[in-house]
Amino acid sequence: MNGVFVIAVPAKGRLQQNAEAFFARAGLELVQPRGARDYRGAIVDLPGVEVAYLSAAEITQLLAQGTVHFGITGEDLVREMIPDADSKVILIDGLGFGHANVVVAVPQAWIDVHSMADLDDVATAFRLKHDRKMRVATKYVNLTRDFFSGHGITDYRIVESAGATEGAPAAGTAELIVDITSSGATLAANGLKVVEDGIILRSQANLVAARTAKWDAAEHAIARIVLDRIAAQTRARAFREVRTRFAGCNDALLAEARERFGVAAPFGGPTSSGMLTLHCPPARVHALATFLREKGAAAVTVSDIDYVFTRDNPLYAKLEAGLGG
Amino acid sequence: MTDAAATPGPNAPDLRARALVASYERAGYARVQPAILQPAEPFLDLSGEDIRKRMYLTTDPQGRELCLRPDLTIPVSRDYLASPNAGKAAGFCYLGSVFRHRSDGPAEFLQTGIESFGRADFAAADAEILALGLEATGVYGLAAPDIRIGDVGLFAALIAALDLAPAWKRRLIKDFNHKSSLAQDLDRLTISASHARPEYQGVLAALAGSDPKAAHALVTDLLSIAGITAVGGRSVGEIADRFLEQAALGAQSALPREMRALIERFLAIAGDPDEAADALRTFARDTGLNLDAALDLFESRTGFMAARGIDVGRIRFSTAFGRGLDYYTGFVFELHDAGRPEAGQFVAGGRYDELLTRLGSPVPIPAVGFAVWMERLTAGGSAQ
Repeated sequence: MNGVFVIAVPAKGRLQQNAEAFFARAGLELVQPRGARDYRGAIVDLPGVEVAYLSAAEITQLLAQGTVHFGITGEDLVREMIPDADSKVILIDGLGFGHANVVVAVPQAWIDVHSMADLDDVATAFRLKHDRKMRVATKYVNLTRDFFSGHGITDYRIVESAGATEGAPAAGTAELIVDITSSGATLAANGLKVVEDGIILRSQANLVAARTAKWDAAEHAIARIVLDRIAAQTRARAFREVRTRFAGCNDALLAEARERFGVAAPFGGPTSSGMLTLHCPPARVHALATFLREKGAAAVTVSDIDYVFTRDNPLYAKLEAGLGG
Repeated sequence: MTDAAATPGPNAPDLRARALVASYERAGYARVQPAILQPAEPFLDLSGEDIRKRMYLTTDPQGRELCLRPDLTIPVSRDYLASPNAGKAAGFCYLGSVFRHRSDGPAEFLQTGIESFGRADFAAADAEILALGLEATGVYGLAAPDIRIGDVGLFAALIAALDLAPAWKRRLIKDFNHKSSLAQDLDRLTISASHARPEYQGVLAALAGSDPKAAHALVTDLLSIAGITAVGGRSVGEIADRFLEQAALGAQSALPREMRALIERFLAIAGDPDEAADALRTFARDTGLNLDAALDLFESRTGFMAARGIDVGRIRFSTAFGRGLDYYTGFVFELHDAGRPEAGQFVAGGRYDELLTRLGSPVPIPAVGFAVWMERLTAGGSAQ
């Protein structure tokens, strides 16, 4: 991987599809020149970039070591696998897929347990009664320990679980679990419920940068191009373009639209003929269109935006700040 | 520890370390050398999961978790329990490496220390342990260390004497060693009324005052009506019991403001041991709480300390001082270098009468001991 900018991408399943779709939307087309079985790839018009297809856990490890520059992985793995994660990696942006919560779940039969404070009390009572500590099955050993410690819970033991953690209480190998859940359906099917304040982490797939990777001028240049395209696409997805032209369109109206609908005017205020282009959050588009017509617009057009390239690049700025610190 | 044979490595004990452990042997403590590789279970069980991140763990071919010993108290205790002398009065000393992940120093470092088992004369044994701990300061040329002491037994006696629900007593005792939690507990104790949950208040009210059998039957029925089977190691009976306790807490929720003030007044008592004992006697008289047994032990211990030549006026006692480990049950102490308080304690120990039971002893065996952090002493001694 010498002298090459490496981006690590999940090698399997829906995470890989989502990651590739994410890059494709940003105009970064990933290709595997030697076929889908090859674990090395490239980006079509970006020489000097190597794409490494790996498991999410491997990606997290390589990010911590600084062996790759960028990687896509879940925040849950970053927080679990990398001690003092913020000193090793920079979470550049959440990607809007791979959503899952890491939660504390107890048997539904524990009708006396609603909060972590209840659980703390139950843990101590359990030790006094059974002369052993309550067992928590999980693969998130570090997240569990920090979260329990934060709630003052000491009377518990962690049982490491590689898979099918939600079955541990029924199998008798643990009293409760810490696991990942997206809908809660699997937990419910196993007779478990989430403790109310027991959500340890709301995780999603993230674009992550490795602080300790080689960051010379060449790497900065590539990172800037990649993040420029991603930021342009991210920003484009956050807005719709709204265009109109009418005589009463003036700066006062723009100020009111900013205030009420959170719009931006990327090319400045209305022209002398009342021509105006706005960027509007998707949820406010209809209200804005109504507002503009009430003010006298004969026609308002709304369209999707492919990219918004701006002079400032918040993602690259975040990378720079992280590497500098 | 083949003392003189080979070239000394980076962790070889120096002359002062060997002189110190030799003085412990002369005081009647048999030198022991427990195995470096230990089963991980007892450490995790007794010190809590938090220690896992500092331990060097490995797995043997049978899948058992092993570790490099992170301290010597548990290995010495286990060896004693496995010996024919288990249960008899016996004292041991050690000098050897312990292993912990640390960001501020090498993972392998030397400790020496003492464990005293099976002595029934608590006050005298406690005082002897403090005196032996202080010998380290003499050997390393540290003239006037800070002597900080506490007594977990006094707090336990206070809680036992208070008119509080069992659930609160259990919590307060557990959280005594976790100071931020204790403050939270006191907050919650005072405002618990506003935290009552409307959705099951009805059930709790119905349970309040009912007898355990009826409550148990009610909870079992509720669960089966809802089609919920109990899974995991907690029985329906335990769930019913805790429901009852919650009901009792609900009934008591109006009380505790003056209770909180009282606990806080207790925890503010500090000073040299004689001043503190006076303040505690006054406190007990004002509040009508019976702390006599714990206070008698405290005063008797102070007497033995003076008899051992310790300048009692220099000791700083605080009721709020605990050592942050769940297994201490009575006297606790730390020695610090007054000139370098940031370096942390260089001797620390206390009484842990439940440790041997939790390690599997069929009968309770009293125990008291301490460990010496040699590297902190070396850093301090050479600066003198």
